[in-house]
Amino acid sequence: MDSSIESVVIVGGGTAGWLSACLLAAQRPNVSITLVEAPNIPTIGVGEGTWPTLRGTLAKIGIGEAEFLRECDASFKQGSRFDGWVDGSASDSYLHPFTPPPSDDLRDLLCAWRSASPDTPFAAAMTPQQAVCARNLAPRQRAMPDYAGALNYGYHLDAGKFAALLARHATARLGVTHISAEVTDIIPAANGDIAALTLRDHPAVYGDLFIDCSGQTALLIDGYCEADWIDRSDVSFNDRALAVQVAVASDAPIAAQTIATAHPAGWLWDIALPTRRGIGCVYASDYISDEAAERVLHDYVNAQVPASHLKALTVRRLSFKTGHRAKFWDRNCLAIGLSAGFIEPLEASAIVLIELSLTALIDNFPARRGVMDIHAARFNDLFRYRWDRIVEFLKLHYVLSVRQEPYWVAQRAPDTIPARLAEQLELWRDQPPSVWDFPRVDEIFAAASQQYVLYGMGFGAALGAQAPCASALGALANVRERARALTAALPTNRTYFGTAAGVSTPAAFGELARK
Amino acid sequence: MTNHQILDPAVHGDLRVHSGTGAAFGDAVMACLIIPDEFRAVQAHYPIVFRRDISSGAFSAQALFGFDNGENLFLEGDRWDARYRPLAQSIQPFLIGRAAADSDVAQVHIDLDHPRLATNGEGTRVFDDDGRPTPYLEAIAARLAQLDRGYRQVPEFCATLDRLGLLEPFTLEVPLDDGSRHSLVGYHIIAEQRLAALDGAALGDLQSSGYILPVFMAVASLSRFSELVARKNARLKIA
Repeated sequence: MDSSIESVVIVGGGTAGWLSACLLAAQRPNVSITLVEAPNIPTIGVGEGTWPTLRGTLAKIGIGEAEFLRECDASFKQGSRFDGWVDGSASDSYLHPFTPPPSDDLRDLLCAWRSASPDTPFAAAMTPQQAVCARNLAPRQRAMPDYAGALNYGYHLDAGKFAALLARHATARLGVTHISAEVTDIIPAANGDIAALTLRDHPAVYGDLFIDCSGQTALLIDGYCEADWIDRSDVSFNDRALAVQVAVASDAPIAAQTIATAHPAGWLWDIALPTRRGIGCVYASDYISDEAAERVLHDYVNAQVPASHLKALTVRRLSFKTGHRAKFWDRNCLAIGLSAGFIEPLEASAIVLIELSLTALIDNFPARRGVMDIHAARFNDLFRYRWDRIVEFLKLHYVLSVRQEPYWVAQRAPDTIPARLAEQLELWRDQPPSVWDFPRVDEIFAAASQQYVLYGMGFGAALGAQAPCASALGALANVRERARALTAALPTNRTYFGTAAGVSTPAAFGELARK
Repeated sequence: MTNHQILDPAVHGDLRVHSGTGAAFGDAVMACLIIPDEFRAVQAHYPIVFRRDISSGAFSAQALFGFDNGENLFLEGDRWDARYRPLAQSIQPFLIGRAAADSDVAQVHIDLDHPRLATNGEGTRVFDDDGRPTPYLEAIAARLAQLDRGYRQVPEFCATLDRLGLLEPFTLEVPLDDGSRHSLVGYHIIAEQRLAALDGAALGDLQSSGYILPVFMAVASLSRFSELVARKNARLKIA
């Protein structure tokens, strides 16, 4: 019973599977890692937008930034812009940037903002990033060290290419065993654990810990553990998406942030890569037909990329269940990625949840089976907390809207708003979101994120009649100066990727693999 | 072959300048003109020497970075290994210009053939989208103004030192670790013994014209020669 944990078997070869394999192999070198994936299953591409955390993750895994950018056709993401979410008017737009406001007390900053520059958007007053995003500039110069920037940033990427890069890195450089075979059955152990997986045309694979990265199939966590599913569609209405990829001219500007544009029954994503734009329409099938949603998508693409040949584009149709497991870690099986749960793609929470799951697992890696249930219980508690926070933060984007379409009115119905969010909104009338509201380690959406959405959408901050304090005014003046300096010093994204593409090191892979 | 133009937002609105460090940006130089106002900062890192222009006979002051043409022992790849970089080096590719030869009004000019001029969209912008100077250009302009004031002081400063006999020719024989010898010729330094022997009236003149401090800073800077030799020996070891 108290055997040591020496081998991990990962099921599924998408972003979640390969990211798990790479991180475990890089940080737990004494554990043997095997990844099993059924041949010829295309990855769903859980996300093409990442959080800044991915920089640290890639550095830990040992992939250089230039290689990553090149191999994944990636670009920089400095936040998300929300167009039309408040009232749908032409001027309705706000930014949720990755760089937090100055470190001063937010009450002082709000007071300084309201008194000194009330017509400046909140994000523009609090960080130079809005000025940089508005000009489609990169967050870093090429001469800077890997993964360092003048501003906080994540990435937009081609999810298929990302999984392929991770797979090559895991197998060639990190010693991960890759088995391409379909799982046909699960062999239980006497204590109810998973002992092994039987595979088609391949010997069974045994392991001490099994990680389910099989996506919506949830082969192990559902198929074997039968972990309960907690439906969250009562709060989060969207359940379908249509996705297209539109090629862009080689000199077209590359947007510095994800653009999320509200429509009558959902929203559209627009993610700019150097060679294409990934555009998608997320919607709630209770409020709009598939045909109408496709018209919304076509109208957007027509308006944004007029030269694209819409008829020739392949529209991918996705439908998703909204919710998550009641338990993510059961016995010796841990679900990471879509198998653990999914809430709509807003704010790109998919990849960051994978990263957070692995950080929690690796920092607390069970040394032996005897302590695994303790770790599992702690993990389940933490991630139950995190899923609740995600559901609430995404809901926040809807409840502050004043749009009048039935979908938007329904989003604001009190019985669809989680109790904790309702309470916080009540508190935030008197005090800004703070660490008191989000006290945990590695909060997925910390107070700064809540502030950008809240004040970006025009939520009234109740302020006393006090005069603005000099240090907060100074901090905001400093933001303006930094914006001037950064907009002068940073290259455009197009320049960055135009020139970066010329610097290629195709031999690097073979060289490292041989070492 | 220089191509100097007056800086103009209408013409140079999209101009970008590489503000980093590197031989490719023209930083591989053995010396740089300096002004008395920066002697204090310069002496913390570099020897200060004087050079006589053969045609005019006038002296100028320089900070030394190396022993040979093109040798900058403070340049390490993309890093300048000293906390202070002399003004005339740090304002490149900009320079002070005048509308007319005898005009008092200084203008910001730019050397359009300078290797710091960026052509690939990287580098720092000089003007923003509205044609206003960026913080980068503002900082450059402030340094150019300081340099302009300083350059006007140099002839009188050096002439005073020369008149008092405080500049003496200087030859440095540098024995290096690999057995070779380098000699540095053609420069002048402050004559310490003459300086020590100045009478009260002469010292009073130096004092009232504000030259005492730079003179002693130039004397102090000579101790930087041993550091320069150490840097040279370190390069020999690597090579």
